[in-house]
Amino acid sequence: MSSKNSNLEVKGLTISRNEQVLLESIDLSFTSGTITHLFGENGAGKTSLMRALAGLLNQDAGQVFWRGFKTSHPEANFSNDLLFLAHNLAMKHELSIAENLQFYAALRGKAVSLSEIKTVASELRIESLLERHFAELSAGQQHKVSLSRLVLENAKLWILDEPFVNLDSQTRDWLSHKMMDFAAKSGVVIFTSHQAIDGLKIHQKISLTHDEDEVMA
Amino acid sequence: MFVTLLKRELMLARRNWVAILIPLFFFIMVVSLFPFAVSPEAEFLQQIAPGVIWVAALLATLLSLDLFYRGDYQDGSLEQLLIMASPTQVAFSKVLAHWLVTGLPLVLVSPLLAGLMHLNYAPDRELLDPNHTPVMMLSLLLGTPTLCLLGAVGMSLSLGASRNGMLVAVMILPLYVPILIFGSAVITASLANSGYNAQLAILGAILLFALVLTPFAIGRALKVAVS
Repeated sequence: MSSKNSNLEVKGLTISRNEQVLLESIDLSFTSGTITHLFGENGAGKTSLMRALAGLLNQDAGQVFWRGFKTSHPEANFSNDLLFLAHNLAMKHELSIAENLQFYAALRGKAVSLSEIKTVASELRIESLLERHFAELSAGQQHKVSLSRLVLENAKLWILDEPFVNLDSQTRDWLSHKMMDFAAKSGVVIFTSHQAIDGLKIHQKISLTHDEDEVMA
Repeated sequence: MFVTLLKRELMLARRNWVAILIPLFFFIMVVSLFPFAVSPEAEFLQQIAPGVIWVAALLATLLSLDLFYRGDYQDGSLEQLLIMASPTQVAFSKVLAHWLVTGLPLVLVSPLLAGLMHLNYAPDRELLDPNHTPVMMLSLLLGTPTLCLLGAVGMSLSLGASRNGMLVAVMILPLYVPILIFGSAVITASLANSGYNAQLAILGAILLFALVLTPFAIGRALKVAVS
């Protein structure tokens, strides 16, 4: 849409939760075509930072820019470019896998055909379950459904909270490949993980420490 | 975008049809308790009918609110909706779907309750057949959307709080009072064979006012709930 580089810039961001300051005036930059690994102990503010980037958490100070515009600015087209996968899978138990996935793609104005969904599902080995209700799947299968959104929706920025947790090794490989493909097509990936991921090329590591609220890039 | 959101709400409602029917049965049953509890005399029932039907409609609306907001909040869908769509659109699609599957059915089954409460009873046959049922339906048609809009404000404000079912009732019932007053006044005026246009007009005015302002309030409140 815009010829500008799709970079995510964070300037002077301060966020707090329950009266406690988690991050104080930090500057971060996520350039297009890079994968960023956020790490830090539990409670260091990884999830809060991600939610603040996604615009879900109110920040005390600072601004987030996407394509050079504030993320709330219509020109930034941020709501259409962002794909945020949180701990909760945000899928409706009453709907089938295909219906859930088609709805989210439709919100971005993209009609996803059943064959597209089948292709992703067969890569993730859940193609036989497409007509099932989401509630009938195992936890791992549900996680895979939520990951298939990455491929089906044409986002430019992925913010993934613990995407590798509870995945079998095949799906881990699938996900790291998708992340690298996406970065190669000048996407921006930000993810958290407690373990190192084999075979995933990471361009930037950001450590959040709890006591000093200090960020080292 | 709005159509996508509305379709999703309606599809979810269809899958949850049992839960959707419960408030409707509640509405019917609450009203049908009155002939047993008070008196089966037609004249007396007719007198209390406007109040009874309106109070029951109000409680049934409160009962159905949870369905449309609670689930999305708990499974994280609300976050996703608010990331990808504007909060006002999310709010409006939810309220519209809520009214279509719970408010409108209340209006449609109300003639049954009018019969039960002898709304059209006339002791002296000299008068022409009185028919108060359409007036009652009209008052409900104008009033129930406002109930849905105001209820959604309370519901979205209290999403983050635990045990929010009761909290919503306490917060919202006082705001329902004007609608209750004018809604039942419409039917009472019709029973007295006097004009009821003024009361209907006020109900309509309240609806328009709520329609313009509450979607913004609901959207902001939903945004606060997920943060």
